[in-house]
Amino acid sequence: MRILIVDDFSTMRRIVKNLLGDLGFTNTAEAEDGHAALSMLQTQSFDFVVTDWNMPVMTGIELLKAIRNDAKLKTLPVLMVTAEAKREQIIEAAQSGVNGYIIKPFTAQTLEEKLGKIFERLAASA
Amino acid sequence: MNQPGEALSDKSALVQRLQDALAALESGDEAGWRREIDALAALRAQPMMSGLGRLARELGQALGELPSVPSEAGELDDACARLDHVVQMTEQATHRTLDLAEECRALTERLRADGLNAEQGEILERIRHNLTEVALTQSYQDLTGQIIRRVVGIVRRVHEGFGALGLPPPEEEARNQGLAGPAVNGLDRHAVSQVDADDLLSDLGL
Repeated sequence: MRILIVDDFSTMRRIVKNLLGDLGFTNTAEAEDGHAALSMLQTQSFDFVVTDWNMPVMTGIELLKAIRNDAKLKTLPVLMVTAEAKREQIIEAAQSGVNGYIIKPFTAQTLEEKLGKIFERLAASA
Repeated sequence: MNQPGEALSDKSALVQRLQDALAALESGDEAGWRREIDALAALRAQPMMSGLGRLARELGQALGELPSVPSEAGELDDACARLDHVVQMTEQATHRTLDLAEECRALTERLRADGLNAEQGEILERIRHNLTEVALTQSYQDLTGQIIRRVVGIVRRVHEGFGALGLPPPEEEARNQGLAGPAVNGLDRHAVSQVDADDLLSDLGL
């Protein structure tokens, strides 16, 4: 399981990376905005994306939409981890095909739960 | 501001303007009518403009003495650069904290490898858990950083808005009042390093 972590704050990338490591996901890579993430996704192999929303150049929601519109990437699971907490935004993310949504600040337990739920649903639909 | 006498003279000036406007309109003096109406509009707009001007100056002072002439955006950049600097400082401190937390976790691994009794194992688990929490708590850096960046954006837009209105009017403000606060690299030419300070103190016989 190779995971791409996308956030413009290096501190948050590191925190997410550490938490994923604790949960046994040690194969990770990082990108600092949606644009950089997309080019990594198109040239390398990933199984999962954890992305922030509010980033310069290309936001997380734009990244999500780009992934869903890409023939090769469209089934890639995307977990959004963001401080954006407006109802409409969560709805927009859901309608754009997000697999999970975590609002910052979050706990290690929340991350574990959401990941578990995503994998459960993926296994059920597979 | 609104002294009784002032209000009275305001009122009579207003009556005069209105009568002049009416007279111009009735006599078919298009230009005269427009002139009087414009003067009336200006009368109404003036307190609002001076209010906005005061607001612009207060905003400038609150942000560490912004330019009194909006086109000189240099000091606004300075104020915003200070906020950017806060984001950088917290980022560095956060990475340092994460370094230490990771190092401590690695140390707990070594303790465990040495073999522990049940109680020690339990304590070690709690330490590991707390280290995870310490790391997670550092996410404040991302969140406060986002808020600061947003405020910087708002300040820039408000200031540009005032600039578009020609506000605040040029005014000689007392500058360099108060303490400068933490020095910001590349911005504070007054700032000295510890080495400079030590040299200075030793020159002064300390």
